[in-house]
Amino acid sequence: MLSILTILIIGIPWIGAMCIWLLGDRHPRVLHALATAFALLAAIATLSVIPFSTSQPVVLIAMGGILGDFTLIPDGLAIFIAAIATVVGSAAVIFAIDYMGQAKQLARFYALILFFIGAMAGLALSGSLLFTFFFWEITALCSYALISFHNDDPRAVAGGIKALIMTQLGGVGLLGGALLVYSYFGNYQISSLLTHYQNLPPVVLGLMGFGFLVAAAAKSAQVPFHSWLPDAMEAPTPVTALIHAATMVNAGVYLLARFYPAFKSISGWSIAVMTIGVLSALLAGLMALAANDIKRVLAYSTISQLGYMFYAVGTGAIFASQFHLFSHAIFKALLFLSAGAVITALGTRDLGQMGGLGKRMPFLQVMFVIGALGLMGLPIANGFFSKELILESGLETGPLVFYLIMLFSAGVTALYTVRLLYLIFWGESRGRTQPTHDGLPAMRVSLIVLAFGTLTTWLLAGGFSQLLASTLPFHHLEAGPTSTMVKQICLAPTTWIALGVIALGCATWLVRTRFTTLAEAFKPMLEAGFGFDALNRQIVQGVKRTAAFVQIAQTGQLNWNVAGIVTGLVVILLVVLRGA
Amino acid sequence: MSLSLFSIAFIGVIGLLGIGFYGLMICRNLIKIVIALQILVKAALLGLIAAGNLNGQINLSQSMALTVIVADTIVAVMGIALGVQIRRRIGTLDVHELSSLKG
Amino acid sequence: MLFGSLIIVILIFAIEAILAKQLITSALWLAGVSALCSVLFFLCGAQLVAVVELSVGAGLVTVLFVFAISVAGDDTLDATPVPPRSLIAILVAFFILLMGWFIMPISSSPVSAISNPPLAEVLWQERGLDLIVQVVLIFSGVLGLLGLLAEIKPPLDASMAGEVGAHRQRDLHALESQISNSQEAGQ
Repeated sequence: MLSILTILIIGIPWIGAMCIWLLGDRHPRVLHALATAFALLAAIATLSVIPFSTSQPVVLIAMGGILGDFTLIPDGLAIFIAAIATVVGSAAVIFAIDYMGQAKQLARFYALILFFIGAMAGLALSGSLLFTFFFWEITALCSYALISFHNDDPRAVAGGIKALIMTQLGGVGLLGGALLVYSYFGNYQISSLLTHYQNLPPVVLGLMGFGFLVAAAAKSAQVPFHSWLPDAMEAPTPVTALIHAATMVNAGVYLLARFYPAFKSISGWSIAVMTIGVLSALLAGLMALAANDIKRVLAYSTISQLGYMFYAVGTGAIFASQFHLFSHAIFKALLFLSAGAVITALGTRDLGQMGGLGKRMPFLQVMFVIGALGLMGLPIANGFFSKELILESGLETGPLVFYLIMLFSAGVTALYTVRLLYLIFWGESRGRTQPTHDGLPAMRVSLIVLAFGTLTTWLLAGGFSQLLASTLPFHHLEAGPTSTMVKQICLAPTTWIALGVIALGCATWLVRTRFTTLAEAFKPMLEAGFGFDALNRQIVQGVKRTAAFVQIAQTGQLNWNVAGIVTGLVVILLVVLRGA
Repeated sequence: MSLSLFSIAFIGVIGLLGIGFYGLMICRNLIKIVIALQILVKAALLGLIAAGNLNGQINLSQSMALTVIVADTIVAVMGIALGVQIRRRIGTLDVHELSSLKG
Repeated sequence: MLFGSLIIVILIFAIEAILAKQLITSALWLAGVSALCSVLFFLCGAQLVAVVELSVGAGLVTVLFVFAISVAGDDTLDATPVPPRSLIAILVAFFILLMGWFIMPISSSPVSAISNPPLAEVLWQERGLDLIVQVVLIFSGVLGLLGLLAEIKPPLDASMAGEVGAHRQRDLHALESQISNSQEAGQ
């Protein structure tokens, strides 16, 4: 029974994708209904597996030979990510009913979203590294296809290709790790790596650890691989909320959390993870201060919050990082979907055209404020508890400098969040168009559900920690009820320091006129993205020049081609003779 | 020096392979290229039969050699037909001019 | 002795086939290579393959080449090859040396006796799949050849079609005017 349910978690969205694709574009209402139904069914399947989660494989299909065994292990880490994928996925699909409305090629959109949801659940549930890689690649493909969904817009296509190339290059690290595991242990199973990692020679373990780190950093858009996420904002907003806020970008954090017991012994690995997290949190937070596009601000904010999660994994606080992943998925999806509603109401993404909309869009204002509470980490919202846990563990285990930088980033987070709220809803109205609606019905449904989640999911912390501790035998986590955690957080001095910094951040906005000279000095650097975009462009130019140089070898003449073949034969013979 | 039958045959195989590849790289006429391909296939056949002789399993190698002969004849036929058509349509059989896959 | 001299003659014929100036000569040298190979096969004990090779290699393929040369013309081309001769010589020399080094040890290793079933049994039972593949190959070769050698029909002339259409329009107009005239007359 459990194995069937687990397979259904992946199977239902995929069957839905197939049905919708075959149905075509002719009946939009049917497509909306079908997509919602399949997404909700998948969510129900996932939620019903949660009480039965175990660390043993529930599905084991021997694929034979080089492919190894296909296993699905619904342990705490996996099932909660699958739950996020399916539940937030359902919210995004419900939102898309009104967002996409009567758009063209709806079948392609829904099919890709459902395909993605299934692949994300499969990525988390898979117990075999090779199949984790396959699902990883499928999510990257769906992400590319959905970013470039409006494929007549050159910016969307460019954004999609950039995302694809950067995440795929990172995926090479994952494949390399999978093949190394196979060559040393004879199978691809994650459990064999976590049990026997001491048997690997240190060099190999180090290669694997840093390879996985690169794959995770590229997928989660961390510095220096972060520039694809702001450009991916050309995607339709439900796609952004689902893929680039709640699920796919969390795959990197999931990977690091899953393999933490094996890699923490590598010298320099934890520090590297922490450094990447700290840099991303700080730089992305600063870049969010200068962005003028609603979704770009939220994209930078996602990079920054993912930096917090990386920092937590680096310090060893696996539960804190996963709890923050959970909270962030919900409040970020809420923020993105609210932003999507604002965008459809006004027809623009430019912050310079908004302002003073609080009176005309009260519902969206409330939704945004709730999401902002989570983002800033104020009490009542789930972001408060998870962020405080991270900061506490950072103070205990990590270097003090990093803690101070993260504290500063929390203040910066508060600052750009207040800036965003102010520029949209308060202050003087700069826009010329009136908002056409205050949240259409389907939009309101998903927004209310997500807002409710933001305010209440911190209550699940006790059960969540119990789930993780009991089903993750290699991680040695401690479980505790929610009340203990709440008491611990409320009494810790770090919490009050953090709240003070956040209040300082909010207050800075109110006295912003005093800082204009400082802001103007920093603005060009922030808008240029600290030089990372220029670096990307240079790399692309370098590759193009190399390709043009190598093109000389393609003469199109048979004799040269045969000469190439014979050269290849000679090289192969040399290699074989050397080996023999 | 008394070499076994097999060694002599393999000297022949390697020599024919070298001549065949040399022909593929030197010749400019398409028909000559097909001739060089035929020489390569003769080398393969010789190798098969000599190995069968060495092994004692001459009948197995004969069956394989029959398949190779069929395949190689078809390759020769297709190559020649292509050559004839290229001569009719494009007008030249010089492989240096037939480089539309350049770049 | 006979074997060794046969091999040397085969190699000489092959070199002549590559270096010949005229295509017909080249094809004839190739026929010689085929014939001598067939003798070699016979000496090795593979009688069936010897006969097939003689008729196919020295007969069928040579006739095909002669046909092709008669159709395609026998132009002698400029002999300078594009990859420089030295590069080609080095590559071929390396290749021969490495292959020799690779394969020569095999001939001195002792070989145990393995069963040698009669030819018919091997051909039809053990390698039956090969025969099916050969039949498919021959079919596809014939179809490909027919496709390659087919003539392309010229498309129906566009102006001609236009003219035909114009004629029909004129006839229709004439018919319509007749009908309307008769109607008027009739009223």
